[in-house]
Amino acid sequence: MTGDATGAAGPPGAGWKRLLRPDLFVLGLCAAYAALVGPFTPGFFTVRNAENLLVHALPLFVLASGQTVVMITGGIDLSMTSVLALSSIAGAWVMTPSGPLGGGPAAVPAALALMLLAGASVGILNGLAVARLRMPPFIATLTAMTFFSGLAVWLTQSRGIGPLPAGFNALGRLPGAVGIAAAAGAGAHLLLSRTILGRWLYAAGHNPRAALVSGVPVALAVALAYLFSGTLAGLASVLYTAQGGTGSPVLGQRLLLDVVAATVLGGTSLFGGRGRIPWTFLGVLFFKLIDNTLNLLDLSHFTIMMVKGGLILTAALLDTLRNRILESS
Amino acid sequence: MSLLRVEAVSKSFGGVPVLRGISFSLDAGRTLGLVGENGAGKSTLMNILAGAVRPDAGQLEWRGRPYAPRRPADAMRAGIAYIHQELNLFPNLTIAENLFLTAFPRRWGLPLIDRRGLHRRAAALLEEAGLDLPPDLPVERLSAGERQLVEIARALGAGAALIILDEPTTSLGTREVERLFDRLARIRSQGVALIYISHALEDVLRLGDDLLVLRDGEVAGGGPRSAFTVERLVSLMVGRSLDRRFPPRAGRPGGETLLEARGLTRRGVLRDVGFRLRRGEILGVFGLMGAGRSELARILFGLDPCERGEILLEGRPLGGGGPRPRIRGGLAFVPEDRRREGLCLDASIADNLALVSLRRYARRGTGWLDPARWAPAVRAIRDAVRLTPAARDDQPVRTLSGGNQQKVVLGKWLLAGPRVFILDEPTRGIDVGAKAEIYRLIRSLADGGAGILFISSELEELIGLCDRILVMSHGEIRAEAEAGGFDREALLRAALRDPAAPPGGGDRP
Amino acid sequence: MRIPDGFRSCALVAALLAAACDAPAGGPRPLTVGVSFEILQTEFWVAALEAFKEELGRRGLRMIQAIAEGDANRQIEQVQNFITRKVDGIILVPKDARACLPILRSANEAGIPIVLFNRPPAESDARSVAVVADNFALAKETVAFLVAEARRTGTRRKAMIVIGDLGDINAVGRRDGFEAAVREAPDAVEVVARVPSEWNQEKAQAGVVNAFQAHPDIGLIFTSSDFLLPSIVSALKSAGKYRRAGEPGHVLLGGFDGDATAYGMLSEGYLDATGVQDVDFEVRACVQAILDWREGKEPPATILDPGFVIHRGNLEEKAPRMWGARVRKP
Repeated sequence: MTGDATGAAGPPGAGWKRLLRPDLFVLGLCAAYAALVGPFTPGFFTVRNAENLLVHALPLFVLASGQTVVMITGGIDLSMTSVLALSSIAGAWVMTPSGPLGGGPAAVPAALALMLLAGASVGILNGLAVARLRMPPFIATLTAMTFFSGLAVWLTQSRGIGPLPAGFNALGRLPGAVGIAAAAGAGAHLLLSRTILGRWLYAAGHNPRAALVSGVPVALAVALAYLFSGTLAGLASVLYTAQGGTGSPVLGQRLLLDVVAATVLGGTSLFGGRGRIPWTFLGVLFFKLIDNTLNLLDLSHFTIMMVKGGLILTAALLDTLRNRILESS
Repeated sequence: MSLLRVEAVSKSFGGVPVLRGISFSLDAGRTLGLVGENGAGKSTLMNILAGAVRPDAGQLEWRGRPYAPRRPADAMRAGIAYIHQELNLFPNLTIAENLFLTAFPRRWGLPLIDRRGLHRRAAALLEEAGLDLPPDLPVERLSAGERQLVEIARALGAGAALIILDEPTTSLGTREVERLFDRLARIRSQGVALIYISHALEDVLRLGDDLLVLRDGEVAGGGPRSAFTVERLVSLMVGRSLDRRFPPRAGRPGGETLLEARGLTRRGVLRDVGFRLRRGEILGVFGLMGAGRSELARILFGLDPCERGEILLEGRPLGGGGPRPRIRGGLAFVPEDRRREGLCLDASIADNLALVSLRRYARRGTGWLDPARWAPAVRAIRDAVRLTPAARDDQPVRTLSGGNQQKVVLGKWLLAGPRVFILDEPTRGIDVGAKAEIYRLIRSLADGGAGILFISSELEELIGLCDRILVMSHGEIRAEAEAGGFDREALLRAALRDPAAPPGGGDRP
Repeated sequence: MRIPDGFRSCALVAALLAAACDAPAGGPRPLTVGVSFEILQTEFWVAALEAFKEELGRRGLRMIQAIAEGDANRQIEQVQNFITRKVDGIILVPKDARACLPILRSANEAGIPIVLFNRPPAESDARSVAVVADNFALAKETVAFLVAEARRTGTRRKAMIVIGDLGDINAVGRRDGFEAAVREAPDAVEVVARVPSEWNQEKAQAGVVNAFQAHPDIGLIFTSSDFLLPSIVSALKSAGKYRRAGEPGHVLLGGFDGDATAYGMLSEGYLDATGVQDVDFEVRACVQAILDWREGKEPPATILDPGFVIHRGNLEEKAPRMWGARVRKP
C-alpha cells in the first residue's frame, strides 16, 4: 500500500521472504507455538480457554495500542499503569453504591466519562512535558507514573473501592469487552493509517527536524500522541476494573513490562517511525498465548518465570535474525 | 614495480553486475583521480581494495604479492586506509583517542592505557600533519576540515602506504580545501599513494597524476592527466557530451517582487541583510563557509529567530510562527543537509513526497486522508523530477543515491505548489547527470514564474544558472552582479574580503 | 554451517518445556486441586505452600499452583485457567476480599468447590468456605498471657500495640482482641500508644521510636504480626530497652503468627509470647473442606482456627506445631 510507513530495512522481497514481514512473522510464531506446545497443554484447545485467553488479552491490547502510537513518535509512555490505577479508583468512587452517583442511572456513564477523562488528563500532562518542556519521554512519563500511582494510593489509603454495578462489570466480559477493545484498536489504526495526524506522527518519529522543515507541527503531534495513549489507558482501566469488580489503587502495577514487551514483539520499533496496530495485536496475542499455556501446564512458579523470559528472548532473537535476512536481500 | 595492481576485477550483487573487468595500476607516490557518476561502481571498487567486499573474479596485487583481504582489518594491516565521505571519527572522544583507537600504547604491556605515551605520540603525529591542535581536544569541537586532516593523520600513523579519499571536500570551505591539498602534496612527496575520488572535476584534474573514469561498472577511460579536460571527463562519465551543462536563460526576469528582505540583523550572524527576489528570477547567493548564507536561509524560513528586520512574502510581512505559515504562503526550503533535515530516510519515497502537501489528499477540511488521491500525484511528480524508475514508491529513501534523494526533496516541495524556493546547496554530493537534471528543473520553475534563491559555494554553477548573484561575507552582502557581467575573480574577492578592509570597486549599486 | 543464535535458543527452550511438562497419564485420574496464592512474600506463605504440597501429597491429590504476584486481575486469570483445566477443587489466598468475588462466582458456576485460606472474602451471595484464624480470640489470649505476666511483676504497665493494615480484616480482629484483653485488666495495664503500621516495617519502626520518646517507660508491647518484630527490636535497641526476660527493664513483648524470628526470640528470652496460627490445622481443614464439599456434605462458610499461644513455658512442647520453628534459618 502506498504510504505505508513501515520503515522496513529493505524492500520486502518476493516469495518466501514475504513471510518475514513483521505481522506475518508473529502470526507464524503464534501458530508454531500453538502447534508445538498446545498438544501438551491440558485444556488448551477448548472453547472456554479461548474465551479466557481472549478476554484477558483485550485490555492489554488496548494499552498496547496506545503505547504503539507513542512509540511511533520515538517516545515511550511509562505512566500507563498509574493511569490504570487512577482511573480505576475515580470511576469506582463515582459508581459504587456509597458514592455520589451510586445506584442512579447516570452512575455508569458518568464513571466511564470520568475514567477516560482521568486518562486524558495524565496524557495531556505527559504531552506538555515532552513537547513543550522538551523532557525526554522516559523521564517525563516515569515521573508521572510515580506521582499518580502515589496519588491513587494516598487518595484511597491503599483500600479498594467497591462493589461496582453489575452493568459496569459486564463490560469486562466477552461481548462488551470485544466491542470496547475493537473500537480502541480500530480508532488507533485509523488514526495512524488514514489521518494527517498519523502521517505527522510517523514523520516526527523518523526525523523530527526534517518533519519540522516540512511543515509538520511536531510538538503538537507528539503531545496529541500522549493524550491519545493516556485516554486509551483510561479505557483499558475500564476493562480491568470491570474484570476485577473493584476499583483498585494498585491496578495493573506489573503490567508495564507486559505492554512494552507485547508492543515490541509485534514489530513496533522503540526508536520511532515504525509500527502498526495489527502488528501490535499479534504481539499481544503471542504474549498472552505464552502466558496462558504456561499457566495451564503444571510448572512451578519459578519455572514459569524462566520459561517466559526464555521465550521472549527467543522471539526477540528470531526477530533480529529476520531483520538480518531482510537487510541482506 | 607497481604498488597496487588490479586485474579484471568483477563483482555482482544479487545477480546485478556492479563491476566488470576493472583493471588499473598505481605506483607509490602517485595520485589516481577516480571519477564517475553515482552508481558507476567507485564505492564498490574501493570497498574491495579496503577488504569490506570480496570480488567475484579478478586479481589484486599489493606490493608485488597477491592481495586478498577478508576483512577491513586485513587491509588496514596491509597499509591501505579508506577515508570515507562520512568521516569515521568519534566526536565524543579526544583527538588522541581517535588516533590510537585500535592501538593504544599500553602501560607495561598490561591492558591499561599509557596516557602520557598516548599524548606524546598523538602530539607527534599532529605536528607531522601540520595541525596545531591539542591532542586532548574532543573531536566534536573540530571543523570538518580539521577532522579530515585528523583522519589522514590517523591513517599515516597506522602506516598507510595507500590512502583512499572519498569526496573529501564536500563539507570544506575554500581555505580548508587548500590546506588539504597542501597536506596531500606533502604526503605524496613522502611516497604515499593516493586514490582521490570526487565530483569536483577541477580538483581531480589538479591533483591527479593519472585519471580513471568509471561508467556503469566498466572503465570508460583512463590515462595520464595531460590527456584530459573537464569536458572530456564529463563526456566519458556520462557517455555523451553534455554541450551545455546549464539550460539557457529565458531572458531578463522582471515583474513583481515575490520575496523581500529588509535589514535582517542577528548579532554575530547577519548584519543588515536585504534583497529582492522577483518573479521568474534565479538569485544566487555565493560565499565561503561561515558567510551567513545558510543562516539567512533558516531565518527567512522561520527556523531561527532574527533580532531586527522584516521579511515580506508577496508583499505580506512574515512574523513568527515557524515554517508553517510560510509554507502556506507559498515558500519552500530545501536545506543544506538533506539527510538530517530534508528527508525521513527510513520512510518510503511516497511518504516523503507527500509530507508537505498532505492537506491536499485529505477530504474537504477534515484530517481524513484518502490514499487513493495520493498515488497519481506521486506518479506525476516522480516523472517531473525524473526520479529513477527502478525505485518503487514504497522503497525507503535511504536506498536511493544522493541525486535521487535530492530529487525526492525537490519533488516533495513541488507537490505543495510553492511560488518561492530557497535552495541551500541543492547539488552538493550529486553526480553530474543528476546535477544537470536539477538545473533544468530549476530553470523551468523560474520560467514558470517562481522565484528561486539559490545558495551555493560552487561559483561555476551560480554563474551558469543564475540571473543575479549576491555575494555574502561575514554576515553581510558584499557584492551583487547581474548575468552578463559575472566576473569570477571579482566575486571571489568579494567573498574573501575582510570586514576591516575598505570597500573596493564593483560593489552593490 | 553456523546455527543461528535464534534457533539454538529455541531448541533449548523447547527442551526445557518438554522436561517440565507432565505427560498426561493414562488410567484413573487422581483428583487435582488448584492452589492460587496472592504472593509468596513472607515466610508464612512459603511455609503454607509447602504444607499444602505435603498434605495434598499425603492424601493422594495432585496439586497445581499459581502465584499472582500481588495482581488481583492476574489471579482471576489464573483461576480461570484452573477452571478450564477442570480441577476438582480450588484453594485460594485472595489478594483482595472483594476482588475475589468474581472468582468465587466462576467457581460456583463451574461446580468446583472453592476454599479460601487464611483470608475471608467480602460479603456476597457466592458460596465458599473460608478457613481463618480466629484473630480476635487468639490475640486476646496472647495479650491476656502478657497481662498475667505484668500482674506477676506487680507494677502497672504502660502498653502499646502495633496495628496492622486496617484494610486487612485479620489486622482488625487482632486489634480488637488486644483491646478486649486490656479492657479486662485496667489495674495491670494502661494503653498509651496505638501505632498504625499498615504492615510496613519502616512505619512500625518509626512509630515505636516515637512512642518511646513520648513514654520512655512503656513496659508492654503487642505486635499484630511477628514479621514486624525486626523493626520493633531495632526501635527497642535504639531506646536501650532490649532486654531478656528476667533482666531488669525487660519490656514484655508479644506477637502474632509464630514465624522463625519469633521462635528465635522466644528461645533467647526476648519475646514472651506469640499467638501462633496453626498452619497445619488450617491446611488440613482446607483440604478436608474440599473433599467434604465434593461428597455433598455441606461444610460451614467459615472454619475457625483457634491457634495456640506459645511462650517460654510451653516452647518445647508446642514447637513442633509452630510453623516458624520448622522454617528455621540456618
